Amino acid sequence: MSVATTRTISLQGATGHLIDVQVDLSHGLVKTALVGRADSAIQEGRDRCRAAVTNSGYEWPATRRVTILLSPADLPKRGPHFDLAIAVGILAAIGQVPKQALDGVVLIGELTLDGRLRSVPGVLPMAMAAAARGITTAIVPEPQADEAALVPGMTVLGVRSLRQVTAHFRGEPLPGAPAVEPLASAPLLSWRGEERLADLDLADVIGMADGRFALEVTAAGGHHLMLSGPKGAGKTTLAERLPGLLPDLTLEEALELSAIYSLSGDLPTGQTLITRPPFRAPHHSASTASLLGGGSGRVRPGEVSRAHTGALFLDEFPFFNAGIVEALRQPLESGEITIARGEEQATFPARAIVVLACNPCPCGDYHPTDRDNRCTCTEIARREYRKKLSGPVVDRIDIVRHVEPVAPHAFRDPLSCPEPTRAVRSRVTEARERAAARLADTPWRVNADVPGAALRERWPLSAAAADLVEDRVYAGALTRRGATRVHRLAWTVADLAGRDQPGLDDTDTALRLRTGAPLALSALERRAG
Amino acid sequence: MNDREARVALNRLGEPGDVRMSGLVAELGAERVYTLLRDEREITGIYTDVAQRLRGLDPAADLAQADARGIRFVCPGDEEWPSGLDALSGCEPIYRRGGAPLGLWVRGPLSLREACARAVSVVGSRSATTYGVDVASAIAAHVAGQGFCVVSGAAFGIDQAAHRGAIAAPGPTMAVLACGVDRAYPAAHRPLLDYLADNGLVVSEVPVGCAPTRLRFLSRNRLIAALAQGTVVVEAAVRSGALNTASWTVRLSRVLMGVPGPVTSAPSEGVHELIRSGGATLVTRGEDVLELVAPAGEHLTAPHRGPMRPRDRLSGLDQQVLDAVPLAQAVPAHSIARTAGLGARVVVSTLSRLRGGGFVEHDEAGWRLGPAALDASLTPSPRRPA
Repeated sequence: MSVATTRTISLQGATGHLIDVQVDLSHGLVKTALVGRADSAIQEGRDRCRAAVTNSGYEWPATRRVTILLSPADLPKRGPHFDLAIAVGILAAIGQVPKQALDGVVLIGELTLDGRLRSVPGVLPMAMAAAARGITTAIVPEPQADEAALVPGMTVLGVRSLRQVTAHFRGEPLPGAPAVEPLASAPLLSWRGEERLADLDLADVIGMADGRFALEVTAAGGHHLMLSGPKGAGKTTLAERLPGLLPDLTLEEALELSAIYSLSGDLPTGQTLITRPPFRAPHHSASTASLLGGGSGRVRPGEVSRAHTGALFLDEFPFFNAGIVEALRQPLESGEITIARGEEQATFPARAIVVLACNPCPCGDYHPTDRDNRCTCTEIARREYRKKLSGPVVDRIDIVRHVEPVAPHAFRDPLSCPEPTRAVRSRVTEARERAAARLADTPWRVNADVPGAALRERWPLSAAAADLVEDRVYAGALTRRGATRVHRLAWTVADLAGRDQPGLDDTDTALRLRTGAPLALSALERRAG
Repeated sequence: MNDREARVALNRLGEPGDVRMSGLVAELGAERVYTLLRDEREITGIYTDVAQRLRGLDPAADLAQADARGIRFVCPGDEEWPSGLDALSGCEPIYRRGGAPLGLWVRGPLSLREACARAVSVVGSRSATTYGVDVASAIAAHVAGQGFCVVSGAAFGIDQAAHRGAIAAPGPTMAVLACGVDRAYPAAHRPLLDYLADNGLVVSEVPVGCAPTRLRFLSRNRLIAALAQGTVVVEAAVRSGALNTASWTVRLSRVLMGVPGPVTSAPSEGVHELIRSGGATLVTRGEDVLELVAPAGEHLTAPHRGPMRPRDRLSGLDQQVLDAVPLAQAVPAHSIARTAGLGARVVVSTLSRLRGGGFVEHDEAGWRLGPAALDASLTPSPRRPA
């Protein structure tokens, strides 16, 4: 009777399950049975493993009944990365690999017929899940060793072939093998995508004092922002500069984000850990799966998760599919998104700052303040368009800003010197540190995370400031929920100004940010224009 | 001691806008007032210790020092003296400040007189909003672009925005200070004032080196009103210095204009009150301002109207019939006649005429609206951007 057990990880979304791969060789009908709710990619793995074992110079137990069990047996499993664990299990069962060497090791990798390894998506979250279950060693395809090594306390061995794995377990020197291709396919076209974003600076934004300040508060407090204004007014210009204002990711955030990119298989090669907040701007024609996650086969994280810890920019928001907008409610509230499919549930983190942009009308030329506007929309079309700006997502927006096109003369102002991103980011970072110190013993990271009840109980406004907000509520200009948002914003404004508690001015500024009113100049102190 | 030196000495002796001093100078002449005061001859019992102070002054040296720093003293009789200031001597004082200035300290390459010949003051609160700043800057850019000099203070908010708009236009602009023209108040506006000194004008009644005080701001406001043909108040709360400038504008019979804001906005409250009480004319853009301050017949604005639609050109009868024609389902002429309350014969002839213009269409079922009548308000057309 010969049984061997190896381990690997199965992913459901960003959640990893430790899987025992048990191989049993027994007498009976000659057959290779794979049980334990494996998907077709794993089923096909039987043939890959057989060829790989044989072509690596070992003997496949062709005269035995081979039973491979993936347990827990009730969990659906998918992915070709089970190959390595299965093949090593067979080799251990036939005595080619010492069984005791397999303790505390996870094996991740797809095999080719000649016994070489291939890269697989999701190595980082797998390694994170393994570490959480007390596993200390991971054997992964060589190009992905750096990725797995990001997990603290994990010993990682990057290998090229099945023979190298066997040699490692036997304590022999590793035989040579051709290098393994990295996962990401080489782009057919190269363009300045990500680099372009890194080059964007607030120093190039003339005027728009309101929008700039709103962006700063958004970044400092993690608040959601809505920018409205005619086309060409500079909404995208502002939104694209939001990630630049955010501080570098903490190690925890960087791991979360890198894990998401690893899952979708597009963690950039040569840069395993993503350290800067992302900016994602899906088009309004995007499908539910691409925006929220899902897709056929493996559940892939959507744009809302790829924007985790950064900014999700939804331009032309009213044109987004109503169902998708409705579905955005969950990530906005809980900071994660769960995709349920059959009995499978995948959960991904999705805590992004949402920036919505909308035009005043479908054609985008309507200027309520400019009598020479060239809008061709009918009043009915305008009303229909505006109707879409209500509902679950817009209700969760803290800051509303109307962006008007900058007057042409402003570009000729020789005294204009807009603050660069660097200066604003240092203020944002200080404000975030101040908030983090206040929220140290709570699960919340930024002001936008703090629930209304906790806010009122632990961090109330001063009596005078609360009166200011109450007056607006009684006047009908503000809802209760809106008042809570003002309260939250007031703290961020105070954090930015370096005050220990929001004063009257901070609360007034918060009210203006929330209601879309122009800001008082006193709020923009020390910010050169 | 000539007239100019006497004015410099008296200017340093008294506070700007002191009506007693300007009244005496207007009546007796600067040299005589200087001599009388210096010789301790009591006049109206006010100046008791002035003689001592006057003897300590050296106006010739003041002028020479100022000149070395590119600062000139402009007083009545000079070619550069703006005649608009003389009107101040005929005005009742406000807060006991008033009268024409004895002279002005000036920095900058422009001619004060030429700048003031076509000038608009743009004033407002320091506690302005970004809305007010944008409007002030746009108005200033327009009027300056048309060659009018923008006159304002040098405070944060509307003042700064007005200058920046004019500079960007590019066009002439002038800052009137409540401190010496060599000083920067607020200090953050040093680059702005330096720019104005190099390219526009910096003007003050207060002698070189002197600090700004609350009363000096009030005296300064009368100059802002008097140096221009009209004053635009952009944002001013109920207690704002800009309203003091507005009062001077009214007192000088110059054009007072106000830019409205949201009715809920505190910084616009003062402006709204000016408009409501009839003191100020509502303006929303530079074109409006120029129409009011430019010489009669220049810078006229066209009355604003909505776009003409083909329907608008029809006669009353034609419109009455057209209103009765249904949009989708064709109906016979007698039905239209009943709806329109008109005779069948006149309706048929009108319909035939309207058909020629494409307003109605006719088929076997009767009449319905044609393409020319289907204006935008009846046809919602959702458009998606690419």
